[in-house]
Amino acid sequence: MTDAIRTDSFFPHPPEKVWRALTDPELLASWLMPNDFEPRVGHRFTFRTDPVPAHGFDGVVRCEVLELVPARRLRISWAGGGLDTTVTWDLAPEGRGTRLLLSHEGFDGDDPAQQATMRILGGGWAGHLARRLEHTLASEP
Amino acid sequence: MFVAIASPVRRALLDTLSAGPRPVRDLAAEFSISRPAVSQHLRILREASLVSEERFGRERRYQLNPLPLREVGRWLTHYEGFWRDRLSALRDVLDEQP
Repeated sequence: MTDAIRTDSFFPHPPEKVWRALTDPELLASWLMPNDFEPRVGHRFTFRTDPVPAHGFDGVVRCEVLELVPARRLRISWAGGGLDTTVTWDLAPEGRGTRLLLSHEGFDGDDPAQQATMRILGGGWAGHLARRLEHTLASEP
Repeated sequence: MFVAIASPVRRALLDTLSAGPRPVRDLAAEFSISRPAVSQHLRILREASLVSEERFGRERRYQLNPLPLREVGRWLTHYEGFWRDRLSALRDVLDEQP
C-alpha cells in the first residue's frame, strides 16, 4: 500500500524546454489541463477538467504554487474531490535530455482514520491483514 | 489516532475483525480480557472510525471499516492512469516544439 504516485521519465529535450512546458500556461494546457497558472510562488490557480461524480469531484483542481526553482523543481498543491495533495516535478539534466520525476503525494490526507488504516496496512506488523482486507473489499459489491 | 493503534491489543482486535464482524463476548474470550476492557478498546477504535457497531437483537457486533482505505485506493488508481496519459501527452508536446 502506498500513499503516493511516483513516476520517472526521460525526455530527449533540455531541462529549459521541459520547464517551459510545465510553466507556460498555454503549453501546460496542451498536455495537462486548461489553467490560469502563473510562475510565481503563492499564486493560486485552478485546472479545469471533466467532473468525476463517482469521486465527488466537480472538475476543478484548486492549486497554489508552493515552490519554483527554474529548470529544476516545481511544486504545487493539488486539491479537489476531497483530496488535499501536492504534485512535485523534479528536473535533472541527463546527457542531452531531461530526467523528470513526478511525485503526487498526500493521498492519506489529514483524515485520521484514513491515515491509521494506511499505516496499519503499510506498517508490516500484520501483512496478512492487508491480504484479508483485499479479500473483504473484493467481496463487497 | 496514534493512541488508537498504539495498543497491541487494539491492533490485534482490528486484525481479528478483518476476518468478519464479531460480538464483544467472542472478542473478550479470544483475547482473555474482560468484556469492559474489550468494550473500552472498541470505543477508542470506533471514535477513530476504524470499526463500526451493529446491533443484532441484544447483541452488539463490531466490524472493521475499510471505507477510508477504499476511497484512497480509488483516487490512486484514477491518478495513476491520469499521469500516465498526461506524461505521454507531454512527450508529444515536447517533440512538436522547436
